[in-house]
Amino acid sequence: MQHLDPDRLVLLALSEDAADPGESAHLADCAGCRDELRALHHVAELGAEAADVRSLPPPPEHVWAGIQADLARLTTPVQEPERTVVVPMRTPARGRPRWLAPVLSAAAAAVLAVAGTAVALGAFDRPPAADVTARATLAPLPTAPAAARGSVEVLSDGEMVVDVSDLPLTTGFHEVWLIDPDDTSKMVSLGNLSGRAEVVLPVPPGTDLNRYRLVDVSDEAHDGDAAHSGKSLLRGTLTS
Amino acid sequence: MSPGDELAERFRDGDDRALRTAYEQYGGAVLALAVRVLGNRADAEDVTQATFVAAWMGRETFDPGRGSVLGWLLGIARRKAVDRIRSTVRDERISDTVRSLPPPATTPEETPERVVDRLVVADALNRLPGEQRRTLELAFFDDLTHPQIAAVTGLPLGTVKSHIRRGMASLRRRWEVDGAASGPRSAGPSRAL
Repeated sequence: MQHLDPDRLVLLALSEDAADPGESAHLADCAGCRDELRALHHVAELGAEAADVRSLPPPPEHVWAGIQADLARLTTPVQEPERTVVVPMRTPARGRPRWLAPVLSAAAAAVLAVAGTAVALGAFDRPPAADVTARATLAPLPTAPAAARGSVEVLSDGEMVVDVSDLPLTTGFHEVWLIDPDDTSKMVSLGNLSGRAEVVLPVPPGTDLNRYRLVDVSDEAHDGDAAHSGKSLLRGTLTS
Repeated sequence: MSPGDELAERFRDGDDRALRTAYEQYGGAVLALAVRVLGNRADAEDVTQATFVAAWMGRETFDPGRGSVLGWLLGIARRKAVDRIRSTVRDERISDTVRSLPPPATTPEETPERVVDRLVVADALNRLPGEQRRTLELAFFDDLTHPQIAAVTGLPLGTVKSHIRRGMASLRRRWEVDGAASGPRSAGPSRAL
């Protein structure tokens, strides 16, 4: 069987030529040439569409500032000294940012003086620490291992720091919810945890934390169903 | 080692300047993807921010051997944007409001995957050697035939043919490696954060 010449395939893919009867017959029989033509045709289409996305300006600087602020929060030790044990693992000593002079608060510096791997921790400049406006301790439900636990802090800038440990493995993902304990059909999804011990999730502006005060971590499947799975693992109530 | 590979290595190794470089080179593509998917500039900027944070925090699971920094970033951004649509749908359902979504990617041509593929191919096109790139631009954007391209550029027809064939092969490889259908690149930050 004589396969189509690569140059012919390109011409057909660009619709510059039409297939002659012999080529059409071959394409009908030969899955290899057909797939080849289909892939090239798709690339040609994408290439034609690429015209208006070839020189995109970078996003505005405030997005960059947000990235820096998030990284500062995620990579700098916070209040409790024991966090310094955790942080170095997430922030390997290589990669010490140079675009910012590390600024350490006196308290953090005192903590760092104790920790041996202190150098890496000043990694990102930290904006003025947001105050904790509410917190919750998460305890395991019967569906979760007894050792599973977590803690939640809501910051004055509207973000929630979620810290969990010993959650059971999941084939899907872990999702964080705020539930109205007076009507548990009312709830707000904050986002996913998957795999990470600590995440920062934005609390949707306007969320009434006096009402949606029950923090819930659930096990969700990748089933396309956006609703709560009903499989809650951890729960705790926010108090200010 | 191509410039893209070098950036990938530095990024994975935690060179903080690589984050800024990646932001300057690819932030626009990440934002464009998010805008297309979400149809809302403010949400798209949030997703862009979250994407770079997640990519940096998860950089150790990034394997430069399996794709480029752009492919990695777009993969994260696509999932984050889709997650955001899902949670919007959910919030609206839960609050019992009967509002229709702002129209995100509604036409079949404009799936998030399609936008990712287009951005990847655009980047690959930008990286082709000059003459190859020029001939492909004339074929794609100006819809010129091979003989017309030969006439416009003064290149022999055989050279035009081989430029286009090789150029398209490069774009195709890049699309297969970095495109939306290339599958999960790692178990890493795709779902983290």
